[in-house]
Amino acid sequence: MAQSIEAVTELSRPADRGERLRRFVDTFGPFITVGAILLAWELMARQQIVTPFLLPAMTTVAARIGDDLISGRLLLDVALTLYRAFAGFAIAAVVGVALGLLIARFVTVRWFFDPIVSFALPMPKIALMPIFMLWFGLFDMSKILMVAFSLSFQIVISTWSAAHSVEKELVWSARSLGASDRATLWEVVLPAALPQILTGLQVALPLALIVALVTEMIMGGGGLGDTMLQSARYVDSPGVFAGIVEIGIVGYGCIAAMGLIRKRLLAWHQESSNGGTM
Amino acid sequence: MSAPATAVPGAGAAAPGTGISISRVGYEYRPPRGRPVLALENISLDIKDREFVALLGPSGCGKSTLLYLIGGFMPLQQGSISVNGRIVTAPGPDRGIVFQSFALFPWKTVIQNILYGLEKRGLPREECRRRAQHYIDLVHLRGFEDSYPSQLSGGMKQRVAIARTLATEPGTLLMDEPFGALDSQTRTIMQDELLSIWRRSPMTVIFVTHDVREAVLLADRVAVMTARPGRIKALVDTRFSGAADSAEVVRSREYADAVDHLWTLVREEAVAAGAGGRP
Ligand SMILES: Nc1ncnc2c1ncn2[C@@H]1O[C@H](COP(=O)(O)OP(=O)(O)OP(=O)(O)O)[C@@H](O)[C@H]1O
Ligand SMILES: [Mg+2]
Repeated sequence: MAQSIEAVTELSRPADRGERLRRFVDTFGPFITVGAILLAWELMARQQIVTPFLLPAMTTVAARIGDDLISGRLLLDVALTLYRAFAGFAIAAVVGVALGLLIARFVTVRWFFDPIVSFALPMPKIALMPIFMLWFGLFDMSKILMVAFSLSFQIVISTWSAAHSVEKELVWSARSLGASDRATLWEVVLPAALPQILTGLQVALPLALIVALVTEMIMGGGGLGDTMLQSARYVDSPGVFAGIVEIGIVGYGCIAAMGLIRKRLLAWHQESSNGGTM
Repeated sequence: MSAPATAVPGAGAAAPGTGISISRVGYEYRPPRGRPVLALENISLDIKDREFVALLGPSGCGKSTLLYLIGGFMPLQQGSISVNGRIVTAPGPDRGIVFQSFALFPWKTVIQNILYGLEKRGLPREECRRRAQHYIDLVHLRGFEDSYPSQLSGGMKQRVAIARTLATEPGTLLMDEPFGALDSQTRTIMQDELLSIWRRSPMTVIFVTHDVREAVLLADRVAVMTARPGRIKALVDTRFSGAADSAEVVRSREYADAVDHLWTLVREEAVAAGAGGRP
């Protein structure tokens, strides 16, 4: 008996080692990659392969980010940009999801909105920025609405197709259990389509940041985009690079947060229970 | 619960305004792409109040389609269907259905799935809980109340679906191969449960199955459908369902004869459907 247990542990050891290595790579792999890139950056700048103007040293940029952080400017910029991006995103999400569901459920709504959505979807929405500036001014309002407008159509489409592919028996079940048409829409179609709807929102989120940044670059009024463009105007290359790193980190944080929200909302879903074996 | 413990006899005309009356129903699927498929043709069938009818037929002959039409899920194209005197136009809680594909709400736990219909009935919370628990016990799923459907086996999901529909105690029960995913022991247990529930409550049942023995054991009458387009090929009185002990029924001579007779009818159609005999 004791012998056999020993044999089992003996056998499991190499597998254990492989497993431990895998876990190590899983946790620290990204840090290693990022570290290597930062190191290469620093070396390239130090060796003067390119001029400090074209590529300031990583440490210089890091020091700049540190300064911005201490002076409070960084937090203010991040807050402004995120406020505009998220306010626009929220409007687009509410409008887009609601409209997408209604289009999928009611033929009359579809007849009305289908041509509008089909026309607006492929259009580069940013082309309307001058009009938004004329109508809504140069402050937060026009930026937020620009973000909302840029995102809405694709959220409508992704929600629509999500709702459309909900198993019809689910809807019928609800109806035969006594749910009204309206209750069925919000209590059955919405949650059933939620995984796909969230995927659509996850795709739209980076676009919210992009549009917020671009509107800031064009209209000014603070925020990461505005600051970056100012730095470029003053030929302040560390400032520009600091801005790029900052927006990169902010974007990464947003995606990570969205991933957590998804896990939370879809605790019932298979993708959560089998721990993402892909 | 005060209902008599005997089955209503299967003979005699249905009283007007009760039971299910299906008259000259046809149905053609018209997919947006591809050729239309004629699924049902000229189906007429009268089912008495509290009768238990089994529907047999080869795969793809339109059994599910017929149930969907009675359920009111799809608009009727031809003919008419009325349930307890009311023309069917839309789904309603008077007709409970157990889908072939279970159709559980995957974001709800077992007990939440079962509570959904009860809450829609507007029953008080306590009563909802009590009834949900009763039906969970009935399908032997105690201990799985808080599991999500994705954590259950196929047979367990099927039992949740059965409990969810039974819990609302509908006057008409439409079941689409409700025991298809169960092992034979669980199946026998569930058959007995279903029969005893049906005897106790005023319920008309239409039960789709591929299993000839099951059909004969449970039903007052068995309707055999033809290969597609589905028509009613034969209506056979079986009525072992009133008997108290199903184990005894299964051993009887009449049972074996009825199974034999129906088996021949079904096999002809299965061959016609090109599907080959299906046990
Ligand atoms: N949504 C649909 N679109 C087009 N054709 C369909 C659709 N649903 C069913 N059909 C066709 O209608 C016919 C009847 O289908 P139905 O599901 O009612 O058969 P069934 O008797 O329940 O079969 P099974 O025993 O395999 O469940 C089938 O031949 C199928 O090809
Ligand atoms: Mg079927």
